[in-house]
Amino acid sequence: MTRSELIRQRLEESLSVVDLDLEDQSHLHAGHAGAKAGGGHFRLRVISPDFEGLARIARHRLIYRAIGDAMRADTIHALSIEAFTPSERQ
Amino acid sequence: MSDEQVQETIRQQVTDNPVILYMKGSPQHPQCGFSMRASQALAACGREFAYVDVLQDESIRQGIKVFGDWPTIPQLYVDSELVGGCDIIMEMYESGELQKLVEKAGSSADS
Repeated sequence: MTRSELIRQRLEESLSVVDLDLEDQSHLHAGHAGAKAGGGHFRLRVISPDFEGLARIARHRLIYRAIGDAMRADTIHALSIEAFTPSERQ
Repeated sequence: MSDEQVQETIRQQVTDNPVILYMKGSPQHPQCGFSMRASQALAACGREFAYVDVLQDESIRQGIKVFGDWPTIPQLYVDSELVGGCDIIMEMYESGELQKLVEKAGSSADS
């Protein structure tokens, strides 16, 4: 399983996902110090009704929890997050 | 330092400094693009802020993730509360919320 597949799978297991867009941007950061441990850079845009009524920080925490132990330097160095509810994206 | 001492050190830092950024490198010499963007947005708010370079201390680098229940760096604390990481800092800066938050930081403690 690739890292992207792992992130996607874990999110879909813990959240009801309406739309999920994940981009592996690791190639843009190859060679920089943070990439040394082998972790990738990802950009995530996810739409889920689970974010309803939650502040940004709580939405990000839900995502980090879902991804769990893959949020480590050797797997994911950086994850940019945009988290919306379905109504915010209508 | 024991884990408990590290947590106590961090608690002291966020209590003593109404606006404090945990980052990689310094605002003058950031060592990561995310820390750079976060510190630039904060600097643009026009108020002085404290920072901790987590690359100088591995125990703080790990301890801040536990303290904030947040797995990544940078992390911004205002009045001892975690505001968020780079994405949230940038979103709040662009909407003008960050400027307002930083401006009134520390005012409740002084009164």
